Amino acid sequence: MNLQGLVIQLLSGMSVGMVIFLIAVGLSLIFGTLQVLNLAHASIYMLGAYLCFWISSMLSQVSGSFWWSLLMAPLLVAMFGGFLEVLLLRRIYGREMLDQFLLTFALILIIGDLCKLAWGVEYHTVDTPWPLDKAIIFGGLVFPRYNVFLILSGPLIYVGLWSLIRYTRLGSVVRAVTYNREMANALGVNVPLVYTGVFMLGCWLAGLGGALVAPMSAVMPGMDMVVLIDCFIIVVIGGLGSISGAFLGSMIFGLVTAFGILVAPRLAIAFGFILMIVVLIIRPWGLMGKPER
Amino acid sequence: MKSFFKQRNNGKAVGLLAAFAFFAVLPLFIGEGYISLVNEMLILAVAASGLNLMMGYAGMVSFGPSGLYAVGAYTTALILIYTEIPFGLALIAGPVMAGIISVVVGWFCVRLTHVYFSLLTLAFSQIIHTIIFGWYGFTHGDDGIVDIPVPEFLSSITNYYYFSLIIVCICLALLWMIVNSPFGKTLQALRENPERTEFVGIHIRRYQLAAFVLSGVFLGVAGSLYCGFNKNVFPDFADVMKSTEMLVVCLLGGIYYFLGPAVGSIVYIFLDKTISSFTEYWPLALGLVIIVLLIFMRGGIVGFFSESVAAMKERGRAKQHVSH
Amino acid sequence: MAVNDVSLNIEEGELSSIIGPNGAGKTTLFNLLTGHLLPDKGRILFKEKEITGLSTHEICRKGIGRSFQRTNIFPRLSVFDNVQVAVMSWRKKSRNIFLRAQRLLREETDEILESVGLGDKTEKTAGLLAHGDQRRLEIGIALGSHPELLLLDEPTAGMSPEESERTVDLIQGLAREKGLTLLFIEHDMNVVFRISEKIRVMHMGEIIAEGKPEEVRANEEVQRIYLAEEA
Repeated sequence: MNLQGLVIQLLSGMSVGMVIFLIAVGLSLIFGTLQVLNLAHASIYMLGAYLCFWISSMLSQVSGSFWWSLLMAPLLVAMFGGFLEVLLLRRIYGREMLDQFLLTFALILIIGDLCKLAWGVEYHTVDTPWPLDKAIIFGGLVFPRYNVFLILSGPLIYVGLWSLIRYTRLGSVVRAVTYNREMANALGVNVPLVYTGVFMLGCWLAGLGGALVAPMSAVMPGMDMVVLIDCFIIVVIGGLGSISGAFLGSMIFGLVTAFGILVAPRLAIAFGFILMIVVLIIRPWGLMGKPER
Repeated sequence: MKSFFKQRNNGKAVGLLAAFAFFAVLPLFIGEGYISLVNEMLILAVAASGLNLMMGYAGMVSFGPSGLYAVGAYTTALILIYTEIPFGLALIAGPVMAGIISVVVGWFCVRLTHVYFSLLTLAFSQIIHTIIFGWYGFTHGDDGIVDIPVPEFLSSITNYYYFSLIIVCICLALLWMIVNSPFGKTLQALRENPERTEFVGIHIRRYQLAAFVLSGVFLGVAGSLYCGFNKNVFPDFADVMKSTEMLVVCLLGGIYYFLGPAVGSIVYIFLDKTISSFTEYWPLALGLVIIVLLIFMRGGIVGFFSESVAAMKERGRAKQHVSH
Repeated sequence: MAVNDVSLNIEEGELSSIIGPNGAGKTTLFNLLTGHLLPDKGRILFKEKEITGLSTHEICRKGIGRSFQRTNIFPRLSVFDNVQVAVMSWRKKSRNIFLRAQRLLREETDEILESVGLGDKTEKTAGLLAHGDQRRLEIGIALGSHPELLLLDEPTAGMSPEESERTVDLIQGLAREKGLTLLFIEHDMNVVFRISEKIRVMHMGEIIAEGKPEEVRANEEVQRIYLAEEA
């Protein structure tokens, strides 16, 4: 393997990592605030990808159709998320973990089948949008522009999200609820509203991830389960509930998978799990998380 | 009071005998296709009841029971295709191997709690899945192991059914003994309040590990038994869907009742086959069933009925009270 | 630092109490004694043997039992089972998978339940009991592991005065009858001064006074702290 190959591998590892970051960070945010591990989070991501495909194919006559769908699909997904939270998730807060697992698992099944009903079982593609449909050629390296776009959008979202939580009034409310729900409630914070808001934000991020992934991979049933497991690995490595942790975890995961494929193609997927096991055993709260109170 | 208990136990014994007799004579009345179906229910009942020892009784929610189930199935399958070891021993080797793997996996897992425990069990079962999937030369990867030789007398569907029925009954009896033993009661205390359990002098991790391993052994039995039943094994025995299927089965029947998982298996497979026969959207239906169960029938099927019976008795008693 | 430089000597058979304002480190002290927390420094001896660094379950087996400030029972088990689990553990039966638990150690368990005044509620679900009964069950569970030293963390918390009095009588009776060494944390001064043979006062993680009730009552520092607290 020459240097060029390594650089390509590095870049593609990072672009994979950045898309998964968007999904994982939503999962982590939701867990941190709502204390619910939403198994259906990746299904929300899949819905985002389908909606991106659907909207951009409906607007195929309009120029910049992809960009319109990139804007609209995540918003629709967020609204759907809000609907789920108010209608279903709200009933199971504070119940046993098993109930939460099963409810969100049921959502996987339902969302998966609804997507099949709406868009069939065949796979769909979305064209790479202008002006990102060319490749960048640099020093003998050929690399798609779209991937560069993905690599750049990851850190952008990370910084935006981090500032939102760290510096805004909204963020401090979310942090208060995350830190101590009863106390926040006593101080007059509308906790259910924060829950719905955070859940919608998480879903928006997952929907964005789905829309961004549509041009570079096939949109089809089952695309959720693969990503779900990857997200688990990432949030565990980084620390459940931590935004920075999700970012770090995604980078590590993207690179480990990209280079793992070079080393042992069939076992590449196991590297992520081994990483996850090691982190869980040594530092269950993850690299960037805090030990449980 | 005492006579009441005796009576209730007699009632239970009669009920169990009747259930056994029902399953024993069943093949006389139904076709081979249905016998297979019932056989599948029986095997799933062992897996789910085994899982429930850990989940319902000890309160440890595993995301990865399918890993140990697959260990049982593959151990038996590999022994049967690569060696001359007789079927009976191969069948025993499955749970033994599952038990050994459980000790290793469980040793790590019981160090964690809540979501972290669940995620670690998931990671381990995914590792098992990857090994089965990736070690093509040994396990045949995603082609699975097909046409596993089974002894002549067990190759007929009906004979294998009776064979399974006996093993399933033995397993359920053993599980019944375990959950009603001091150990079983201690596990329930652990589920209710681990901290307090430690303060009455229980080394909780050791008990959790024991529960994990016992669960693993029964999952292994179910895997091995299914291997002989199906005569083919595939990597998806170890995947997440299989694990969730087992969890759903437990929920469906009711995790706080001994027979919950067994009843859940029967109902689950029945629903699966019936609904799948007229629509490909069985997952959608299952999802809706789960949501209805979670919101309206929290105790599962067994819980629902036993609560209804209790409520009826209560009403009866209240009436008597009034008339006095 | 919640507990600092505490030196405490509990005599066998003594019935003593720890008082002090909120956050003085009383519960932390209990957590240290029972192995729930590890001390950074210092030693804990029980019956002249070192127990520092032992885990909670080992310390329980050595004969130190405790009850908790916040009711800490097995809510979905029956009252009988709550205590039986402790008794089985003490009798080294918990690991047995071949026995039937239902009738096991029934007399012993019933006796304990009787002694804490729950003899008529054995089949009830623990989580559905009234608060006062749950507090007594809490003590019952602790008694199940046959402690020689019993640590009670605010045994009468949240009880009505009548109930509180009943519970205190019960504790006193138990201590006498079973020859227990008893150390309890209590906020209700009536209770403290009525039954304690010895009182220790904690403040900011340290024991600032120790002695017979009348001595403690006369102690100036104690008066200052309590007056400051009320002011």
